Amino acid sequence: MKIFRTFLLLTALLGFYCANCTTSWADDGTDFFENKIRPILVKHCYECHGEDEQESDLRLDSYADMLRGGAAAPAVIPGEPDESLLLHAIGYADDELQMPPDGKLSDAVIADFRKWIEMDAPHPDGNKTSILPRQGSVDLEKERQFWSFQPLLDSTIPTVKTSTWPQQPLDYFILNKLEQQKLSPAASADRRTLIRRVTFDLTGLPPTPAEINDFLNDKSSDAYQHLVDRLLDSEAYGERWGRFWLDVVRYADSNGLDENVAHGNAWRYRDYVIAAFNQDRPFNEFLTEQIAGDLMPETKSTAINNRRVIATGFLVLGPKVLAEVDKVKMEMDIIDEQVSTVGQAFMGMTFGCARCHDHKFDPISTEDYYALAGVFKSTTTMESFKTIAKWNETEIASERDQAKHKTITALIDTKTTELKEFTDTANQQLLVALGVEKLPATPETQYPADTKKQHQALLAEIKKLTDERGELPSAMAVTENEPENLKVHLRGSHASLGKTIERGFPEVFISAKHHQVDVKSSGRLELAQWLTDPQHPLTARVFVNRVWRWHFGQALQPTTDNFGNLGEKPINQPLLDHLAKTFIDNGWSIKHLHRTIMSSSTYRMSSDFNNAASNIDSTNQYLWRFPVKRLEAEAIRDSILAVSGLLDRTMGGSMLPVKNREFLFNHTSKDLTKYDCFVRSVYLPVVRNNLYDFFQLFDYNDASVSNGDRQTTTVAPQALYMLNSPLVDEASCQIAEKLLAENNSLKTQVQQLYLKLLGRNATRQEMSRSRQYYNLFLQTAVTPSSPAIETNVATVAARTAPDSSTDARSEFETATDPCRTTAQFQALKLLVHSILVSNEFVFIR
Amino acid sequence: MSNRCCPNNSQPDASRRQFLKSAALRTNALGFGNLALGALLQDTLIANPTISKQTHHPAKAKRIIFLFMKGGPSHVDTFDYKPQLQKDDGKELPYEKPRVQFGETSKLMGSPWKFRPHGESGIMVSELFPHVGNQIDDICLLNSVHGTNAAHGGALLKLHTGSDNFVRPSMGSWVTYGLGTENQNLPSFVTICPTLAHGGVKNWSSAFLPAKFQGTPLGVASQPATSAEVAYTHNKRITRKQQRLQLDLIKQANQAHLKLTGPNQALEGRIGSFELAFRMQSQVPEIVDIADESKQTLTMYGLDEEVTKDFGRQCILARRFAEAGVRFIQITHSDSNVQWDQHGDLVKGHTKNALEVDKPIAALLADLKQRGLLEDTLVLWGGEFGRTPVMQGSNGRDHNPEGFTMWMAGGGVKGGYQYGTTDEYGYFAQTDKMHVNDLHATLLHLVGLNHLNLTYRYAGRDFRLTDVAGKVATGIFA
Repeated sequence: MKIFRTFLLLTALLGFYCANCTTSWADDGTDFFENKIRPILVKHCYECHGEDEQESDLRLDSYADMLRGGAAAPAVIPGEPDESLLLHAIGYADDELQMPPDGKLSDAVIADFRKWIEMDAPHPDGNKTSILPRQGSVDLEKERQFWSFQPLLDSTIPTVKTSTWPQQPLDYFILNKLEQQKLSPAASADRRTLIRRVTFDLTGLPPTPAEINDFLNDKSSDAYQHLVDRLLDSEAYGERWGRFWLDVVRYADSNGLDENVAHGNAWRYRDYVIAAFNQDRPFNEFLTEQIAGDLMPETKSTAINNRRVIATGFLVLGPKVLAEVDKVKMEMDIIDEQVSTVGQAFMGMTFGCARCHDHKFDPISTEDYYALAGVFKSTTTMESFKTIAKWNETEIASERDQAKHKTITALIDTKTTELKEFTDTANQQLLVALGVEKLPATPETQYPADTKKQHQALLAEIKKLTDERGELPSAMAVTENEPENLKVHLRGSHASLGKTIERGFPEVFISAKHHQVDVKSSGRLELAQWLTDPQHPLTARVFVNRVWRWHFGQALQPTTDNFGNLGEKPINQPLLDHLAKTFIDNGWSIKHLHRTIMSSSTYRMSSDFNNAASNIDSTNQYLWRFPVKRLEAEAIRDSILAVSGLLDRTMGGSMLPVKNREFLFNHTSKDLTKYDCFVRSVYLPVVRNNLYDFFQLFDYNDASVSNGDRQTTTVAPQALYMLNSPLVDEASCQIAEKLLAENNSLKTQVQQLYLKLLGRNATRQEMSRSRQYYNLFLQTAVTPSSPAIETNVATVAARTAPDSSTDARSEFETATDPCRTTAQFQALKLLVHSILVSNEFVFIR
Repeated sequence: MSNRCCPNNSQPDASRRQFLKSAALRTNALGFGNLALGALLQDTLIANPTISKQTHHPAKAKRIIFLFMKGGPSHVDTFDYKPQLQKDDGKELPYEKPRVQFGETSKLMGSPWKFRPHGESGIMVSELFPHVGNQIDDICLLNSVHGTNAAHGGALLKLHTGSDNFVRPSMGSWVTYGLGTENQNLPSFVTICPTLAHGGVKNWSSAFLPAKFQGTPLGVASQPATSAEVAYTHNKRITRKQQRLQLDLIKQANQAHLKLTGPNQALEGRIGSFELAFRMQSQVPEIVDIADESKQTLTMYGLDEEVTKDFGRQCILARRFAEAGVRFIQITHSDSNVQWDQHGDLVKGHTKNALEVDKPIAALLADLKQRGLLEDTLVLWGGEFGRTPVMQGSNGRDHNPEGFTMWMAGGGVKGGYQYGTTDEYGYFAQTDKMHVNDLHATLLHLVGLNHLNLTYRYAGRDFRLTDVAGKVATGIFA
């Protein structure tokens, strides 16, 4: 047999073969390959997919390589032409993958390839090739050994030498590592430092001088616990911690991407998140509501049922290409966004890669991906795909809303009937009066004056009622769709489909098989059940790690959003697992987790620098001191507003300047966004593609992708903002005005300034420096009587003022109070401004 | 593949020193470690402008000026001469239209404009661009560009970020990430009068790259170029003298604070950033203030004519930023009607548009050349797609991402050269096809960066401007 094949190969290579053979191929079909397929491969493919070059890791000059395929998928699957990527590529079905690139092969040649694959792709190497597993294909048993797929460690509390230090079990884990590294923990922070740290940490706002005093004077042994409890009970807590979660779920009030229309009802989800944190909703319930709130057993409370519908907004909030011309692609892109976000937010896994090929780094196969994608394919996220596509919204009227709506509708109906009867009569009379048989186009214009008046009154009444009724409130939410299993999309393309995959969860997770998807449902509820199964190795770990990151500015597993092979290994896995277990054991209570962390000695350390420790652990990864952290964008803005008395503490609601689904940006580039109100930052509209410039400058989340670990960058435009923005300038003026109004000495003013802004007294050196600069500022003050103002920019010819409607600047430009022109005011204000932008104001120790 | 030398965005500033150490150790065979290091140092040693940045290979251009024609200028009416289209005006297109189309179109429509050969190269340019036509010997036409998206939003994002459905860093951000800056007192990537629609900020954002690589906008498309300025570069209520004093006070306060916390990159960086900001706010207005330009220059750019003065100013600003060492400068020709988007009234719309940009663009090329800047400045011209050779309505053309023309000039490309072709009617790119990904690969190559090695680790993998595609069009290199 082998000799025969060699002969055939030789004859083919030598180029003499019998013309009659074209229809009667040798039994094993290899001569079909040699005559019809190989020459084409040689001519069109080998240059890039042969011995010298292997584009996309693909070689077509050996059978084994063809079967194994390149980066994407097997090039040839014998007997399965529709699943063979090679055929897909030469068929030019997909805009992105068209081979050979310089022009499509003839239809006859493509038909030959199809036939060859249908014949089971006979090849001279067919029998002697043992096919290596394809690159990236998954050895599940091996992959399951990876730390984050393993069950939580049953961490025993380690022993330590300095047994007096630990206050909480977690301290033993920290101290154990420190001692291993020959490090020792910093001393406890003093009370002033602590109250500032804890208040910012839990509320994103500075403590007021009165709050500081209360804490300093509280001599009870549980003063610190009281402080933490007070802050956890404040509504400001949910406003800060809810905001962290909003980063993870890529919350935004507009779609962004191509068509930037308003998510007019997204705020309901935002307010839901804030309330969930404030009410300490257990995390497993919180998760379930967001993935499958609409599928949870209905309760008697409309409020709870509605809340759960609103929670599913999580799945709808993603950025979408709403004008995508290819509707099938749009749907798959939306599903992909959901799969990616769920994977990243709850599991720290990047599933998106597996859309086109088995995940290169993590044991997630294309099958796993489409099993999960099927869950969202079976879910209705979109009301319509027609340009501009519309996401789904669900009505969430309360009983009162519904009752009111019903009553008014009944009234409108009555009035409408009345109107109809009235018009009929009036029209009849008009016909008689005019002596015609056919009514004119607008008969009401020819009614007698009295009739006309009555008619208009009726119309006005109906309009008034209709306005009063308004629209029933609705929320961005998903609902169930026809359950449907998806086919594998070869290379991610919907133009080329492979085998059908049943809905389910990635095989690498052993617990996945205990959570089968009901054939009659989408599988979202099962997805939530699987994720919140205490056996799930990732959900609790990932969340606890996020919370640690938000407290300390650095996480126990440094890459909070990636627990896969490309993520980092945890610095202290026993501690991470201990916290995760404690979290589950305490009913997934987030506030309990805060208390555990914040009452530890670890959390209460000072941030004092220690040269010896720094030499051993320069990045403080083992936590020998409390990290120095810069405040996040929201906390910076809110603090500036808080200390200047400008902050408006109104909670909730929409701040969007346009209606639901209206454009924030149409073709005109006219900026309709407005940020000129002083509510907390969490309530300002998050407009994708045009974030509030303050947010943009200070490392706010991108708002389009899940992110649990914001960067902290330092760039000059931040300093420009602090020096020149009307917001910071006006805040300084407000503070200076208040200080001046109290008619105190400069010394008292400076003391008050330090207390208010930095939560501490000015040192003697600071006092004398302040006095020195105050005097210098006095000398440079520009009063109405002094010569023309020399502004800090060169005079620019032909510059016209920017359109004042484009930002918050206009808010302040006209505020020129005569008392602000005094030299004393200006000098004090410059002093205030300098302290307000100093490092100490924005860095928390 | 595990190129761990790229900066990891999860590194907080405080740990940067440690990271620098480890990054230096992990420098890979491709030499990218150095590059990433340079980019990082730009931030860390914020006040030190003398950092050398290594490119992957010798660069042909040091900076890029992108003249963006929003809406999609028609290639068959400007730089892609199609005699067969003229001949078959009014006939049916003899082959299938693309699977995905934006709108309804009908029969072939010849160009209403005449073409004639220009320059020594004799390349055909339509009468819409007489001035640019005169510069054709410095221009390399890319006649075979094609994209993936038939709608403005998707196409803009694809062109600017390489992706029409995911959030990715813009090309300007990648370029500055790779090259660092030549002038520490200025942003390294500016975009003048950008459009806020169709991706808006996404088109100049740094996405997951560090924020310092994002584009700095001057003005927006809906406002005249005269109002283009960098935000927050002046405070009306404070004199320069007062602000200098303030900075001294802030510095003293910050240094006292630093003593308490010990060495800290973030705190030190912020101290430096105030000094840099102070310098920046005097430099930027100097560039934006064109009062020192000669009358002759102003006239050349068309600033003395109503029709050309707005885009002319943008072109002058582009040159001034280029001179000052900015790496990536984008200017945008767009207004409320999506400027080049002639679904109808092609003659009226394109005539007006071309008139507004032709003279200023030609002036920019000539000016760069006479100042010796053209040889290391790459000028790129084009829209997000071209237009169909078939008619839309009675006198318009639809979007066409299947084949269209962009052009380059300067920075290492052949002048008086045509690269690639579309088919006989100009519908589909045909030979030497240049996908938008290929355009990006080529742009990066010209500034000395290998698109395969310019990566950034985010969310578990290395990202590239060209994702998994991109082929460098070596055929256009001078």
